[in-house]
Amino acid sequence: MTPAATTFHTPHPVAQRRSTTESPLVRRLLIGVALAFLSVFLLVPLVAVFSQAFAKGIGFYFHTLSDPNAWSAIKLTLYAAAIAVPLNCVFGVAAAWAIAKFDFRGKNVLLTLIDLPFSVSPVISGLIYVLVFGAQGWLGHYRDAEQPWLPWLQNWLNEHNFKIIFAVPGIVLATIFVTFPFVARELIPLMQAQGRSEEEAARVLGASGWQTFWRVTLPNIKWGLLYGVILCNARAMGEFGAVSVVSGKIRGETNTIPLHIEALYDDLNIAGAFAVASLLAFLALITLALKTWVEYQHARQNQTKMFP
Amino acid sequence: MSVEVKNVTKKFGSFTALDNVSLKVESGELVALLGPSGSGKTTLLRTIAGLEFPDPGTAQILFYGEDVTQIPASERKAGFAFQHYALFRHLSVFENIAFGLRVRPKTTRPPEAEIRARVDKLLKLIQLEPMAGRFPSQLSGGQRQRVALARALAVEPKVLLLDEPFGALDAKVRKELRRWLRQLHDEIHITTLFVTHDQEEALEVSDRVAILRAGKIEQIGTPEEIYDNPASPFVYDFLGNVNLFSGRMKDGAVVIGETEFSLGEGTGETDTAAVAFVRPHDIRVTRQANGPALAALVLRSNAAGPVANLELKRLDSGEIFNVQLSKEQFQELAPKAGEPVFVELKNVRVFSDDYSI
Repeated sequence: MTPAATTFHTPHPVAQRRSTTESPLVRRLLIGVALAFLSVFLLVPLVAVFSQAFAKGIGFYFHTLSDPNAWSAIKLTLYAAAIAVPLNCVFGVAAAWAIAKFDFRGKNVLLTLIDLPFSVSPVISGLIYVLVFGAQGWLGHYRDAEQPWLPWLQNWLNEHNFKIIFAVPGIVLATIFVTFPFVARELIPLMQAQGRSEEEAARVLGASGWQTFWRVTLPNIKWGLLYGVILCNARAMGEFGAVSVVSGKIRGETNTIPLHIEALYDDLNIAGAFAVASLLAFLALITLALKTWVEYQHARQNQTKMFP
Repeated sequence: MSVEVKNVTKKFGSFTALDNVSLKVESGELVALLGPSGSGKTTLLRTIAGLEFPDPGTAQILFYGEDVTQIPASERKAGFAFQHYALFRHLSVFENIAFGLRVRPKTTRPPEAEIRARVDKLLKLIQLEPMAGRFPSQLSGGQRQRVALARALAVEPKVLLLDEPFGALDAKVRKELRRWLRQLHDEIHITTLFVTHDQEEALEVSDRVAILRAGKIEQIGTPEEIYDNPASPFVYDFLGNVNLFSGRMKDGAVVIGETEFSLGEGTGETDTAAVAFVRPHDIRVTRQANGPALAALVLRSNAAGPVANLELKRLDSGEIFNVQLSKEQFQELAPKAGEPVFVELKNVRVFSDDYSI
């Protein structure tokens, strides 16, 4: 028998095993380890959240959620996200567009700045806002100044008792700060990979800057953008650290969902805390589902364009 | 004069991509910009399109006499086809071609029916009517390039600019598309500039060829002119294979080794070092010297393909050179490796810093 024939007509299937395949034992072990890890650290806590939430019955669950303070926290969270997400969406697209499609001095500095919220502890970001806008900070000094720059602005601020820290504006600002890298980070590599030639083609064909953006750039990045927005929203609603520092935790006024959960927990109202926490857990599940759907849609669209 | 480029300089940092380039293209002409990579040919094309702007100074770009130097790409009315096509991946072939018409302001935008008619006509021109609904990723490279051309033509440009139009295609499709482009140009007579690094492509397709080197136009002329009368050693070398023989000048002749080859006309220069350029097909190989000839040794021969190639070594200096023979000549000669032969040089050209013949 020639060596070639031995290779092709071997009676033992084992010999055909690919070089990258491990034995069944190793495979099961690897899958087992991964599954065990996921169960302990993800699945069990998730189940715990929902079981604790309903520990005192479904009536108590809805009673907790319909409490005025809970409602206020839910509304404030939605309000902050409704401002932060669109702003970060615009900012992210603008930053990604600038970085991917133009060459300018200081590009790397901008890239580093975009990553800043990821590298700074959220508590520090909150504290920075307190220092800048708090009663002892720049804003406080300005409001108390005897000869202020722009007197009408000082008047207006004092008349309306406009506060940023321990008030809604601070929460919104902190949320924007912590979530602004999500969209930009998602889009920059995508837009860099797509290059500039389609935009150049559009320009030569007579399209204006806006037309180029709406007709060429945006359709090319839409799935990446949606993905970034979903992640950004999840973080905006779930943010604790930075918001906790600037909020002042006034119940029914400046508590967001995560802060309200903490307040309930501190009151030893464990079932109540988990009931509100189940909202965030539910949000996480929806986010996960949306993320999977976006990825699926994106893949499907590429597929149909490849094989009609 | 449809496209005129005057004194254009373009620097990227410390790299000079274009060094005071001037170029005139007649209306309806098909001109090739030929050069090695980094010679500035693509930058020149992009500058004409308005995708790059020349460094401030006396630079001017004119389209039919109108100064467009400061006009952005979107208003220049130039058609541009990119090397990697740059088709809009999310739009169908039909919508890709219609793009330039659809983005026009309402006042100048043709009605929907006219857009459809024009796109259909272009689809017919590029022979892709059945593909109208497909997406770019479903097309072959040659089909994509044709769509890119149709898209550029849809806006009825004043000039057509093609950046390495066949660069990313395989050899067979390249040749077909090359011929198709020439036919297309003969039909619609649009002033066209195209960039290529393939000398065969430039010589076959274009009316005139501009050869670029290090940001400067080294020579411009019809394919025959530049092939038969290269202005510099660079052009000579770039346009095809060439053998170099070092020798000395002597009264209108060049002495290579012990042998004197006439250059046809006197130069007055005597006894200066010179390099003679001879194309492989301008060398005759014989077994007996009749007239001025060099003695050489056959090193290798290869008769695969339409012509036979010989590799020879000069007996006196040991320099190695190549000879191209027709199949008949090769069979007649039947050279064997290691065999001594004589070579006669025809169309010998000598370049030096001050003159060329």
